[in-house]
Amino acid sequence: MPVDDLSRFKQTYFDESAELLAVAEAGLLRLAPGGVDMDEVNAIFRAVHSIKGGGGAFGFGELVAFAHEFETVMDGVRNADIPVTTGLVDTLIRANDVLAQMLSYAADGTEAPAGTTDDTVAALRRFLGKADPAPGAAAPPPEPAALLPDDEDDEAGIFGDALAAIQAARDDRPAAALPGAIPDGKVRWTIVFRPKAELLLSGNEPTYMLRALRRLGEAEIVCHLDRLPSLRDLDAELLHLSWTVTLLADAGVDRARIDDVFEFVADDCDIRISAEAPPPAVIPPAEAVSANAAPANLPEPAAPTAAPAAPPAATTSSPSGPPPGGAKPKANGNGGDHAGPTTHTIRVDLDKIDRLVNMVGEMVITQAMIAEHLRDLPPGQFQELREGLEGLAQHTRELRESVMSIRAQPVSSVFSRMPRLVRECAAATGKEVMLVTSGETTEVDKTVVENLVDPLTHMIRNSIDHGLEGPDERERIGKPRAGTVHLSAAHRSGRIVIEVTDDGRGINRAKVLSKAIEKGLVQPGASLSDEEIDHLIFLPGFSTADQVSNLSGRGVGMDVVRRNISSLGGRIGVYSAPGEGSRFVLSLPLTLAVLDGMVISVGEERFVLPLTNIVESLRPKPADLHGLVNKCDVMMARGEYVRLVHLHRLFGIPRAIDDATRGLVVLVETEDGSRLGLVVDEVLGQQQVVIKSLEANFRRLDGVAAATILGDGRVALILDVAGLREMSRHSGTTTTAPTTTSALPALQDQADQRQRQPV
Amino acid sequence: MSLIKWTEEDGRVRLGLPSDLDLPMAQPLLDSLRAGLAASADVTVQADQVERISAACVQALVVAARDAAERGAAFTVAAPSEVLSEACEDLGLAAWLKEWSGESRA
Repeated sequence: MPVDDLSRFKQTYFDESAELLAVAEAGLLRLAPGGVDMDEVNAIFRAVHSIKGGGGAFGFGELVAFAHEFETVMDGVRNADIPVTTGLVDTLIRANDVLAQMLSYAADGTEAPAGTTDDTVAALRRFLGKADPAPGAAAPPPEPAALLPDDEDDEAGIFGDALAAIQAARDDRPAAALPGAIPDGKVRWTIVFRPKAELLLSGNEPTYMLRALRRLGEAEIVCHLDRLPSLRDLDAELLHLSWTVTLLADAGVDRARIDDVFEFVADDCDIRISAEAPPPAVIPPAEAVSANAAPANLPEPAAPTAAPAAPPAATTSSPSGPPPGGAKPKANGNGGDHAGPTTHTIRVDLDKIDRLVNMVGEMVITQAMIAEHLRDLPPGQFQELREGLEGLAQHTRELRESVMSIRAQPVSSVFSRMPRLVRECAAATGKEVMLVTSGETTEVDKTVVENLVDPLTHMIRNSIDHGLEGPDERERIGKPRAGTVHLSAAHRSGRIVIEVTDDGRGINRAKVLSKAIEKGLVQPGASLSDEEIDHLIFLPGFSTADQVSNLSGRGVGMDVVRRNISSLGGRIGVYSAPGEGSRFVLSLPLTLAVLDGMVISVGEERFVLPLTNIVESLRPKPADLHGLVNKCDVMMARGEYVRLVHLHRLFGIPRAIDDATRGLVVLVETEDGSRLGLVVDEVLGQQQVVIKSLEANFRRLDGVAAATILGDGRVALILDVAGLREMSRHSGTTTTAPTTTSALPALQDQADQRQRQPV
Repeated sequence: MSLIKWTEEDGRVRLGLPSDLDLPMAQPLLDSLRAGLAASADVTVQADQVERISAACVQALVVAARDAAERGAAFTVAAPSEVLSEACEDLGLAAWLKEWSGESRA
């Protein structure tokens, strides 16, 4: 592989560095004077160290120099030489930001402006008890040793793949040789294979890998038993063995052949491979240096410290690479273990997954079509075909779920950004805030996760800026000085529900209302319920802060939050109690691709109702139906009045059943628990449908969430129950000016709200 | 279902290894080895039936052998099957097996 190809590994490096930065930041935010968690400190150190190591491999000198400064201070913290103070944490957080900046310069291929790191470097050095000799000067490069590989580089162990590939590229010509008894035409490989303890659990078997190595040439395998626990402590399924293999192979056996052996376990082990060829592979010194210096954390040059407990093998000849002195041995709290992430992951282009999702979607449709044709077959015949198709249906469903789960990500990736935000907001407002999060592991589609960042950021800012009182005020009214913002996520009936709750003063309704009147959003004298007033904050351009603050008042209002959420097929609600706090509830679909639906017919048309919305379907008796003058029909269902919505009236569909007692009423429920009765002709059956975006192919329609293709090839619209409720309110009322109706459906809800109260 | 056969004779414990010693068998094997070494100072593992063995099971044998040596108990891997011998060779434990198998001790 030509070295030019390395550029594509840069992207991996930047991606992974971003993850490491997040790890470091999360750790730093938890770092507090007093109870210092050494695991946390180690994790931060490893993250920075890995970024430095990878940066060295790509020759990002300035970045490496800065990371080195950062790392040195972290090392001091790790060894308890530097006490953890608030000032230190602030500086380290700033250093983390600067490191992010340096990475983004490196990613853009631009030079960082001179002096980018100066202040931070100076601040970092103050903690080392060193005066910065020239505050204005750029950070001096670290001592060469820092650029040289050491056995702890890539501490987080996550650059394995990319770096192994770089290594392979550079290894195409075997590295400079040391004299040794290697026959001509042979290469001696030294492979140090140190599996993680969990290797066996993923179904891998070292026996076969070592056997495969033995087949490549003459192998001498040394098994290291030094890490074996006692008989009492041994966990039967964890592996504590490691190996050093000395392989004398033909020159035809290249690095790739050896890598192939470990192809499936690259993430599950620490492998160091080095090669020696017989003499005349003369490499100019300069190049030799770069080959050694650049791949800073490559598996290669196994300095003696690298091999576990220096194998008692004279056969393991001294590897090529820098002299042992070049590798700076460090105190390592981890006993040399590579404490990388234990989950085994593979990076896949999102496009590929989306294609897969699409194909599975098409398959779901095809399967539905076949199932439809099957219904036409004479009953009692083709039993095997029927059974086979049932199996197919089940497998399709499982396949769909598996594919969807590939796209699913825990919301923790969003939640983890919030502590930082809270810290900043608290500092900016002088309030004391405690952030409590729960349900971080809740998984949701990647697109949804990505688009949650902005709305959540805004909502949390809003809660701190507008919701929480200052510490003194809180104390006066008998609340704890520190306010609490609770961020939670949970799955609820096929959707994800995210809540932001604060224990602040709640929404100041008088203020909201007067502001709305002042802005002409509400007519003076209009009587609005508390809930309606609360929902006014979602109106475009609405802001109650007397002074536009730095935080919430950035021209982004709650209306944008609502728009973002609804573009994801979600909804937002607010519940507030004066003096006690407010609660914002987001409800979002788990996936944007497939849903379980009930196909209904209205006239000649077919619609799909999401199964999660359906409560029951029934045919009402005439006595259950009540008409309200100038309003709408309601139905008594299970002791509760439910508003009836005639779909054919709403969508103007001819030849449909108008009389609910002759058709059917499908009782549906929205996320906020309010119910609605949809009058339809018939319920045709349950079906998995593939969601095809209406916005992408046509445009947004009220009351319609998306479209789908049914088994018979017809296009059917997927109904949006909450949207239908809003539409039905519009069609039934006459009180509010049309200009505001679309923006403020809640205003028409008053009568409706009352109807829905149980009687 | 393969089982580890436990026989006791004159205070000596003999564990008959089954043919299939894959990963799920590692725990039962380890339990048997612990019990065997707890019950007796002379444990023999009969290994002629082994047709499949995971590194986890080899590891358990290695740890048991070391434990026995530390407490001065006798431990033998008797009549290792070809599969076991090969696996040990792959794992760089050929010398270990030789040391602990009947070959050099019986």
